[in-house]
Amino acid sequence: MRTVHTTVNGQRVVADVPDNTLLVDFLRSQLELTGTKESCGVGVCGACSVLLDGKPVSSCLTLAVFADGCTIETIEGMADDNKLHPLQEAFIRCGGFQCGICTPGQIMMAKALLEQHPRPTRMQIKQWMMGNLCRCTGYYKIIESIESAAEGTKS
Amino acid sequence: MTAQTQPSEFVGKAVERLDGPDKVTGRARYTADVFLPGMLIGRCLRSPYASARIVSIDTSKAKRVPGVFAILTGADVAGYRYGRVCRDIPILAQGVVRFVGEKVAAVAAETAEAADTALSLIRVEYEELPFVVDVHAALRDDAHRVHDQPPKVVGARLRNPGDLKMYPPLPNVISQLTLRHGNPAEAFAQADHQFQHTFNIPSVHQGYIEPHSCLIAASDDGDVDVWMSNKAPHGARAALAEALSIPKEKITLNPVFIGGDFGGKGGLMDAPLCYHLALHARRPVKMVMNSFEELTAANPRHAASITLTTALDRNARILAMKARMIFNSGAYAGFCPVPTIHGYTAFAGPYKVPNCDLEVLRVYTNAVPAGHMRSPGGPQITFAVESHLDMIARDLQLDPCRFRRDNAIAEGDLSPIGERRQFLHCRAVIDAAIREFGWDRPKGADVGRGIALYEYPPGTFDDSNVVMSIDGAAKVDVAVGAPDTGTGFHTIVAQLTAGELQLPLNDIRVAFRDTGASPFERGPSGSRLTTTIQQAIKAAVDAIKTALTTLAAERLGAREGDVRYRPDGLIEARGKSIDLKALMAWAEAAGKAPVVRHGKNTPTGRSDVTCFAAQIAEVGVDRETGQIRVNFMVTAHDVGQVINPITHQGQIEGGLVQAFGQTVCERLHFGDDGAVISATLGDYKLPTVMDIPDLTTILLPVPTAI
Repeated sequence: MRTVHTTVNGQRVVADVPDNTLLVDFLRSQLELTGTKESCGVGVCGACSVLLDGKPVSSCLTLAVFADGCTIETIEGMADDNKLHPLQEAFIRCGGFQCGICTPGQIMMAKALLEQHPRPTRMQIKQWMMGNLCRCTGYYKIIESIESAAEGTKS
Repeated sequence: MTAQTQPSEFVGKAVERLDGPDKVTGRARYTADVFLPGMLIGRCLRSPYASARIVSIDTSKAKRVPGVFAILTGADVAGYRYGRVCRDIPILAQGVVRFVGEKVAAVAAETAEAADTALSLIRVEYEELPFVVDVHAALRDDAHRVHDQPPKVVGARLRNPGDLKMYPPLPNVISQLTLRHGNPAEAFAQADHQFQHTFNIPSVHQGYIEPHSCLIAASDDGDVDVWMSNKAPHGARAALAEALSIPKEKITLNPVFIGGDFGGKGGLMDAPLCYHLALHARRPVKMVMNSFEELTAANPRHAASITLTTALDRNARILAMKARMIFNSGAYAGFCPVPTIHGYTAFAGPYKVPNCDLEVLRVYTNAVPAGHMRSPGGPQITFAVESHLDMIARDLQLDPCRFRRDNAIAEGDLSPIGERRQFLHCRAVIDAAIREFGWDRPKGADVGRGIALYEYPPGTFDDSNVVMSIDGAAKVDVAVGAPDTGTGFHTIVAQLTAGELQLPLNDIRVAFRDTGASPFERGPSGSRLTTTIQQAIKAAVDAIKTALTTLAAERLGAREGDVRYRPDGLIEARGKSIDLKALMAWAEAAGKAPVVRHGKNTPTGRSDVTCFAAQIAEVGVDRETGQIRVNFMVTAHDVGQVINPITHQGQIEGGLVQAFGQTVCERLHFGDDGAVISATLGDYKLPTVMDIPDLTTILLPVPTAI
């Protein structure tokens, strides 16, 4: 058991967690942030993607204690005072989701992408998003959503 | 509001989906996201053998693990067999195991760690038995019989053409369907060319990203609350009631989002076991399959062995086709909601085949039980037929597009299985695909091209219901009996309702609440839901309008026959008028709102309308590594009325990439011992965004009856 000091979606969180607790379980069970999903459990599908100090990680492969001293961003922190993030708006506008189970992970990964490359090429989008599986959309509308969000946020 | 149905500004418009805000913010709650006080985690121990007798099970050490509340073995759930049509699935193995991954024992504990520790301490002694995993071996007279006795069979109705025999006297055969149209023997005798090929098509997994999940709480007075990843809660409730021998009124399926279905989430999976764990532990129990269990022991698509024989005349016109289609059902048949594999009804559907002879066999083996997946049997049969036609065209030195076009079905032709259809736009679809693709343009080096056709009618079977109410603020609520599994079903219901009532979309709310508070709905299946619910919505709207007419007549002091609905939205009678909001406010004050009406649709018979798709792919190969890459595809479809272009295109793109995966990279691999060895998403290769081809979609707006 260790005490973990983190900032989750802008809020300070201090919690005692067992050493072997995974970040995905810490978020979902302990903090009740169930927007982050677990599917494959082996870091392949990307459904559990969250941002740790701004970098995307698979929370199913990350121990919660590794988040000590870090900021964590999850899907619950994307909207600002009920104003959706441009990526969230774009996913709705373009139909970048169907069943929605992979969507939180897709949006978190896309956020990291746009922070690195505000105007990504299609190949950059594919290279960043290749670790996020989606079985419903065939990916076309996810690409479109990210491109649309990038265009909308250009200065 | 208008008295007659008029084209709505909402029908055919790319409106945003109603579930968007919940799904992009993480608020959408799926089964695994539900936590109840005192909830335990359920896990199960699975068989390492494809076929064995269970000699003994010792749970004494496992019982001593702290935090363990229940341990069940087959003896605790003896006497139960469940399944859809074929009631052959035990809740836990009853003395024998029939596939690698079959559930043998189960534990409910406070943590997953405690449950897994307990499972590791259960000692099972097995005596291995002979086994069979290949369908051809399973059909031999001396084959190991996977089941000694045929199970109870319920509701083995065939709503399609053909003769069906359940459990005929053939080794390991679950069902045998035969269908003959015309005179195939005579046609083969007159043929100038004959070709025969056999195609072995592997099993694939549905690939939904949410694994099967369920959470069950059983109260002391017998009420059972269920949250589960099931596409059709009313059907699941009835099946669960039967499987558990409790009245269905005691069971409530609560609303949760479904994280992908693709046909795989229509059955009960772990729910009967979860209930028994909850009953024994006297605590709520949640079971979530991990991805290893999903890939090795859920209900994947059937592997198939399909032998096709085709007779042609000297002009390469198809005279007759024979098909023997053997589907590997694995160890249990109960995961299929139908007695046979319905894909046969679309057998060679794009073509004029005057004489046809089909046999469809479902066969038990000691492999993972097969279930349903998007167009069950369709991809296997289409892959076989289309590959077969390519091989014939190559042998006869014919262009594969023109060979298909020359044999395409046309208005007036019977389908290969002898059904009369209308609106047969097959050639127009082929031509559109050829034109868009530029079939005759020169090819680059190491590039191949191919075409395939597909035919599928809209599903018109089983009941759809809605309960529609309009309140004092003139807001409309539509209660439906199934969740939106991701297709956009609820948004489409809202669009159709807004269209019928000529109300703003924002005034319509659509919800599946729970099985107690919603009307029966068969759910998404066989491309039925948009078609069947449309008629239920129309019926409800008609009833609502009748009630509104009565209210308006009373409010305006007129006779009902004088009430008119004007295009500007006002309701008028004898020179006086009122808008809907004012009418409903008055009705509420008078104690006459909300107005609640029920709409039901019971379809009668198979649709005689069908649709076609033609797809052309350009594929590059790296000659050094052998890697192939699908560079570019054109997909052309004849469509009726598109209700929402976003969700419509989403179905095409999602379906196309699933088919791409099945063709190019997905396959459940079996070891010699019958175990699935592609057991993680690292080994089972789902398509990623890097793999998808450039895609152009052509929609041919053609008149149909729908």
